This record gives sequence, structure tokens and C-alpha cells, in this order.
Amino acid sequence: MPTIAIDAMGGDFAPEEIVKGVAHASLETEIESLLVGDERQIQAILDGVAYNPEHISIHHTGEVIGMAEDPKAAVRHKRHASILVAARLVAEGHADALVTAGNTGAAVLACAQYFKTIRGVRKAALASVYPRQTEYPGQDQLALLLDVGATIRCDATELVQFALMGNAYARKISKVASPRVALLNMGTEDTKGGDVLVHAHRQLKTITGMNFVGNIEGNDLAKGKADVIVCEGLLGNVVLKLLEGLAEVVVDLAGTAAREHWRWKLGLMMLASGFGRLRDLTDYSAYGGAPILGLQNLVIKSHGRSNARAIKNAIKVAGKGVRDGVTQEISSAIEQL
Amino acid sequence: MSAMRRNKSRAPKPPRPVVYRWDLDKTYLRSDFDSLRELVRIPFEKPEDKVAVPGVAPLIRNLRKTATDRGRTVRVFFISASPPQISKAIKEKLTLDGIEYDGIVFKNQLHYLVRGKFRGLREQVGFKLTELLKSHRDVPADSEELLFGDDWESDPLIYSLYADIVAGRIQNEELGQVLRAIGVDPPLVVAAQDLCTDMQCSDVVAKIFINLERRTPPTNFRSFGTRLVPAFNYFQTAACLYDSGHLTLDAVAEVATSLVTGSSYTPLRLANSLADIVRRGHLREPSAAAVRHHLSPLGLMPQRQRPAAQPPWWQRVLSWFTSTPEEQPVADQAIDYQALVTQWRVTR
Repeated sequence: MPTIAIDAMGGDFAPEEIVKGVAHASLETEIESLLVGDERQIQAILDGVAYNPEHISIHHTGEVIGMAEDPKAAVRHKRHASILVAARLVAEGHADALVTAGNTGAAVLACAQYFKTIRGVRKAALASVYPRQTEYPGQDQLALLLDVGATIRCDATELVQFALMGNAYARKISKVASPRVALLNMGTEDTKGGDVLVHAHRQLKTITGMNFVGNIEGNDLAKGKADVIVCEGLLGNVVLKLLEGLAEVVVDLAGTAAREHWRWKLGLMMLASGFGRLRDLTDYSAYGGAPILGLQNLVIKSHGRSNARAIKNAIKVAGKGVRDGVTQEISSAIEQL
Repeated sequence: MSAMRRNKSRAPKPPRPVVYRWDLDKTYLRSDFDSLRELVRIPFEKPEDKVAVPGVAPLIRNLRKTATDRGRTVRVFFISASPPQISKAIKEKLTLDGIEYDGIVFKNQLHYLVRGKFRGLREQVGFKLTELLKSHRDVPADSEELLFGDDWESDPLIYSLYADIVAGRIQNEELGQVLRAIGVDPPLVVAAQDLCTDMQCSDVVAKIFINLERRTPPTNFRSFGTRLVPAFNYFQTAACLYDSGHLTLDAVAEVATSLVTGSSYTPLRLANSLADIVRRGHLREPSAAAVRHHLSPLGLMPQRQRPAAQPPWWQRVLSWFTSTPEEQPVADQAIDYQALVTQWRVTR
């Protein structure tokens, strides 16, 4: 069974929700969880919930990097922070993968400090999953978008590598035999988007064994045209935040409408079960977290606001990724490039 | 004459007899009566079909052996809320497992069925408490007692009540109030009070071990005090019993081996269990270290150790500034049973 190191102190609701998530995972799976953080705090939380101690170990460290801290300064000064210790334990082979809901910048820096990139990979990419429409039965309801912030600008080769990494991850985790891979661009024509995107498009078309469907535009993101969407970090981050912001606005608008008129309120109440299903679909806690791809060790970065359910699912995703050999799959895909 | 008297007073005191009292269902046997179908199947089960909780059989065998080797008189009793109609299969199962016992009590469910007292079928407190008190009269007054139950029914409450009654901490009047609050059959309340009258009181119950078969959060048992040890598996129980001198390290190793060979436990799972019971304050670190040291060469502990984030001395210094203050162990206070019954009923 894989061992997953979990940064117990990282996240808006850490350590409470992180530890509860680990407790749930210990009852539902055979995955070994290695909690890194303040032992006394962790045990006090475990004492209050149902858990299976046989699948949980604790590695004590007292330092924590806060969500609002400057990542560079914190990583430099807090050498025994939970995220750094967790990453080190993975790098030394005491665990197979890392899950953190903590400060994203610190997580990326910790990974850069302890993990090597897969041979041939030029830059690691932070991926994120988001819900969208499906076009055919059996299509995954979540699409993978990368990079969403590990890089700012990329060249064509790096985008091609992102596509290969995303393709391998989707094949293993989503179990989509041949995921549709697309480049996010300002037009569907292969001449659009400037030299980098044109060049990347040309290279991706030549890769055998990858279902490259060309460019997609922003309005296609919510449709099922692609399963893996590739872009550089600056653009990916803007898209991700836009999607999150839109979801919040829709919920807010519905609330306002309900307050405006009783008939609208009645209509919303009748649609409640439908909204419930929509909420389940868009609930980040259902998919746990997103991977940092391109490193020799699997890292799942969970949302900062992760609750116990999100952490439990992040552990399951990490366990699945380790069992199914996601990093090996990426490695062999990059070798073939 | 005076020399003879001096010699007599110097003669070594015989070791205290020890009594182990075990619940049967969910503590010894992995009885599945979660559904009606499973409940109906139980009477028809053959002894070889019955499954013991992992590690329990070698634990009981070694408790008897260790006590005997140390010259202690030992008695093992079982108490079960199952009807006597299935006693034959259970007794044969115990024999199959090599368990020697000195007594076994079953609940006469038919008695309640005939009287139409269906509530009595489920109510265990009155039945078990009176049976424990009856059995207590038959063992030497200076015996040390250890009780084993589970978190399915009311074992923590029954055992704690029993321990405090025999220690003289609960008087008849309070006992009556508590049992009535629980809803015990009135004749059983009277019977329990009668058994308490003229009892030679002594604080004989050393520990109560509760097998967390349902994974009940350990905090739920805090009100029962440190005498009660909630344990997630019988390796944790065995380690605690080594700590208290009731088992040898070889016996702990035998329990661990049975878990690894018979129940797909791994050295890592055993190590995690050991660390958990230490963190919860029921096992002292030197004893845990001795267990680790003994089990490692046998391949029952992980060979590779994780390095500490910082040297231990530095961790201790850092923890003064960065960690939450450690809870100081508090001396056990008398259990407020009235409050406990209310709280216990809510959590059930």
C-alpha cells in the first residue's frame, strides 16, 4: 500500500480538517497516511473522531508556514516547517507522494527544493481540475487544466511537455483511454496566438498516440471538447480564478434573486435539487486536489479551504496515482518525445 | 519463639491471584449481528465457523501462562449476553482455540421472552452487573481483576460500575438510582443491591480494556478515567499488559505474530498501533521501546526508521515555544454516574 505524506498544518482549516480527512481515509482505505505536524495537536484531534490508528503515523515538527506568509522568506527561515519536512520525507523515500492544502507558493518551493524533475522535463506544471459539460457517455465530468501557476511564460517545447504530462495523468487517474488534448488559444485556427502557440500546435500534431484536438477558445472551456487543456501559467491561473469567481457570482445572484421576489424564490426552491446536483458537481472537495506534474514524486495540492472530505479524496487520488504509476507514465511519455 | 515469629514475618508474601473477566461477543468472538439475517444464523453456526477477534486467543492463553509461570493463581471467566442454547458451540470454539476457562455465563433470554419483557432482551447492564457481582464472591478477596469488553453495548459502564462497587465507592442507594436511570429490570436492581450488602470491599479492578470494534472515538471514554483503556486491537492491549507486568515480551510477540500471519497485519501497522497507544497516554515510552526492541529482530517492526526532523533535545526546546502545552495527567476523580448515564445514553 502506498504511503502518503500529509502536511497536517497547511490550509485555512488546518490542522482540524486535515487530520479529520486523514482519519476518514484511514477507515475507508488501506493507504498509509504519514501526518507531518504538531504531534500533540494532531493526536488531540484524532482522539475526538473515529479513526484507524494502524494506517496513521505522525512525524512531529513544530514549525508552520502560514497561508499569508511570503513563501520565499518562510521557506528560507522555517527549515522545519511541516511542508518542508513532509517533502523531505517523500524525497528520502519514507513516503510515496505528498498532499498539502497549505500555502501554494511554499508548496511549490518545497517541491523544487527536495524533488527532482523527471528526466527531460524542463518545468513542472501545476494542474487543476474543473467541472464542465460532457459530450459523450463515459466522458469524465472534470477537465484537467495545466499549467495554472507554476510557471508564468513558457516556450513551445514546455507546452508540449505539459500536454504529454496532462495526457498521462488523465489516462491514469480519469481512466479515459484516449483523452482529448487541446491548446487554449484565442482562436481555433492553427495560425492563431503567436509564434509559441503556433509552434506548439505544430509539434503536438506530430505526436503519435496522443488525441490532440487542436486549439480551443475560452468559450469552449465549459464544454466537453477537451479533457486536457494546456496553457502557460499566467493564462491558466487567470482562467481558474475566473471560473471560481463566476461560480461565486452565480450563487450570489441566485441569493439576491430569491430576496427580490417571492415568485423567484419559489422558482429557486423548486430547482433546489437541481442546484444541489450542480453544487455536488462543482464541489472542489469531491476531487480533493490537483497535481503538480513533472516531478519524480507525485504531489497533490489541495485547495486552501479544503475540508475533511477534500483531504480524504486528495489522499485517495494520491494513492491511486502512486499505484497506477503516474510519474512513470509521464517519464516514458517524455522519453518518447 | 521470637526467632520463629521473625522468620514467619520474613516469609515472602504469596503473589496476588489474578482474575481475567472477558465479554464474549465482539470482544472474543467477531459476532456479526448487525442484520436480522446474521442474527438468525448465529445459533446454527458450528464452532469452526465462529471467528475470534484477531489476536485475542493467543492473548488469553499467554495471560494464563504468564500468571502461572509467576506463581500466581489465575482465573479466566467469560460472560455473554447470548442465550445458553448456543453455549455448546461457543464452549467448543474456546476449546478449539486452546482457551482454558474457569467459568462462563450466558443470559437466559427465554426467561424474558416468556414473560413478554422484550426490553429485557436488549438490556445488558442489570444482567452483566449481577453476574459479575455473583462471581466476585467466589474469588479470593485480594485478587487483582482485569476486565475486557467492547464498545458495542455498555461494557465500559458496566465494568466501571462493577469496579467502583467492589471498591466500595458506590453505596447501595446510589447504585439503585443509577440502575433505575438506565432502565434496569427492578428485580435485577434489588438483586444487585442485595449482592452489594455485606460485600468485603477492596479496590481490585486494575484495568478495564475496551476493544474499539466500532472505532468509537477515544474521547468518548474520557469520563471513565484512566483505569479504562480503549484499544484498537489486541496488540495495543498486549503491549499495555506487558507494561503492567501481566505479559512477557515473548507473549506480546506471539500476539503480534498471530496478527501478521492470520489477519494481514504488517510491521508498519503494528508500529503505528504502538505509537498510537503511547500518544494516548496508556503505554509508557520505555515499555514501548522494549516492545519495539524485542519485535524488530523478529521482523515484526519496520526495519527502516524515519529520521527526526530535529534532534530530540532540540525538539523538546522548540516545543516549549511552538507547541500547545502538554496536558498534565490528572488524578482520577470519582465517576459521576448520574451524569455519565445521561451522557452515555446520548452517545449510544
